[in-house]
Amino acid sequence: MANQKFFVCCVAVLAIAVASHFFGAGYGAKLMIWIALAALVASTLRFVMLIGELNFATAAFYGIGAYTAGVATTMLEWPFIVSFLAGGVVAALISTVFGFITLRTKGPYFLLIGFAFAEVMRIIYTKMDWLGGNSGLIGIFVPEALDVYLTPFVILVSGSLIGILYLIEVSNVGKIFTAIKDNEGVARSVGIRVHLSKVACFVIASFAVGIAGSLHAYTNNVISPGDFGFLLSTFALAYLKVGGEEHPLGPILGAALLILLNALALDSGLNEHIFYGAAIVAAMLLLPKGVAGLVGRWFTADRCEPGVKVVARRAQ
Amino acid sequence: MENLLQLLLTTVQIGSVYVLFALGLTIIFGVLKIVNFAHSQFFTLSALLVAVVIPWLMEEGYSLFNAYLFGLVIGIAGAAMLGVLTYQVGFRWFQRDMVGSFILSAGLVLLFEGIYLEVFGGAVRSVPPLVEGTISVLGAGLSAQRLLICIIAVMLTGGLAWVLAKTRFGNALRAVSIDHEAAMLQGIPYKSIAFHGFIFATLIGAIAGALIAPVSSVSPTFGDSFLVKGFIAVVIGGLGSVPGAIIGSLLIAAIEAFGGFYFDPSSASLAIFVLVMLMLLVRPNGVLGRG
Repeated sequence: MANQKFFVCCVAVLAIAVASHFFGAGYGAKLMIWIALAALVASTLRFVMLIGELNFATAAFYGIGAYTAGVATTMLEWPFIVSFLAGGVVAALISTVFGFITLRTKGPYFLLIGFAFAEVMRIIYTKMDWLGGNSGLIGIFVPEALDVYLTPFVILVSGSLIGILYLIEVSNVGKIFTAIKDNEGVARSVGIRVHLSKVACFVIASFAVGIAGSLHAYTNNVISPGDFGFLLSTFALAYLKVGGEEHPLGPILGAALLILLNALALDSGLNEHIFYGAAIVAAMLLLPKGVAGLVGRWFTADRCEPGVKVVARRAQ
Repeated sequence: MENLLQLLLTTVQIGSVYVLFALGLTIIFGVLKIVNFAHSQFFTLSALLVAVVIPWLMEEGYSLFNAYLFGLVIGIAGAAMLGVLTYQVGFRWFQRDMVGSFILSAGLVLLFEGIYLEVFGGAVRSVPPLVEGTISVLGAGLSAQRLLICIIAVMLTGGLAWVLAKTRFGNALRAVSIDHEAAMLQGIPYKSIAFHGFIFATLIGAIAGALIAPVSSVSPTFGDSFLVKGFIAVVIGGLGSVPGAIIGSLLIAAIEAFGGFYFDPSSASLAIFVLVMLMLLVRPNGVLGRG
């Protein structure tokens, strides 16, 4: 059953990617790229939530990916595919060190350190003159041959990464992550190396975030430190929360819904911050399971029994 | 020597505001076990109201002193009212839910910041000083206005420490933050303490905002840098620990003052972050944190 759904989703991604090619390079294509990247980032946020942590360092690794791709393309003039992957690889390497130190802490401490890390990275970008300081890097282009296919390319890459994250989630590795979230002590007692597993989860997510950052650099052509503040993590949180965090399709739904609504709202002159803020607050107060929880049985057929949830919450 | 004294004075002066800010964060975390990002928004609202109301009242012909008095009262009362509203509508349902409450507070930050921007505009505001001139303390010069604020903040911090250590309310707050179930068994009304603790912390934040407004340039994003530093101070000291918040805040203020003088402000920010990383390696729950 789950396999069937996954297959349907794969076909859907392919179809959207092909269809997006015929949208041309106008505003519609831009919107699709934004949705794809937002869905990818929100999915990684959800992935780290498997171990029970809220990863606010997301903005930092997104920025690292973007800057790596930018530097590799404009200064080192590496071939496209190498620079493109370098964004993910460098983000993964830095996140290994960062995660190894900070994942010894939990909950609020981890969250706040990630938040501080994003702010520090932003300061570093502005301080480094060779990174363009406050004005950032310009002229990050994909090769001409790929330029026409940029929108399908972004959608395909984002879609496959989200798919891979899902496959990891339902594999045995994913079960280890969930076990750690449910009860670290029990997981450790059956021989799971808790700290290493947490770092692994964090690094996988950071690699995907780095790739998203890399794609951001190539699709925007211009990056500056201001793009990578903690607002980026907050927006990703909004997509995840509005879409619903319990289902893998939640982040995608949330990203599509919020970005399309926001595009409409901007036309009517509503402030973007108010829109996203109100969306998060409303989702938290009125829709604890997000839109995915509302849409119906098809999305929520394999969630656990409501009764089990209540007991688990009381036990905490 | 003169430099050293000047820097120490600066440390106490920024530090006292950080202490007030961080105390609010740590009390809220202790009592409700929530990470409240929206704390900075109460701080900002209070500062914005002060920066708007004082010049307006002076134009209306009030004396400088009266304008300050009304301005501070309106700023603090406005922020406290927003705090009550936020708690009753939102945080009440998210007690002891770390992830949920954090997401809610992140949404509130966006919402409030957007609204402030619409209502007050993005312009940077400043307030005419209450007292003019500079005072020299052992050769180090300090504007009288800043000295006054510094003295008030230090006195307030002392008063707060006394409230938390000696009064029934303070004891109840600390008991709840150590173990809320045991506290309830002892007959401490948790629900009312949670509400009053939140409002108490919000009030402290609002007072800090009102105090700092006359010596700063106030804008709708005014609270953001305080939020980062306040949280780092609390992480260094240990979430939920009152003495920890005070030590952490003073430490950060010292690094900022000395690092900013001998190097530059952004190196000081980096140094603070490196310090936090090193400290987490040694003590993952902060210097004075409990498990």
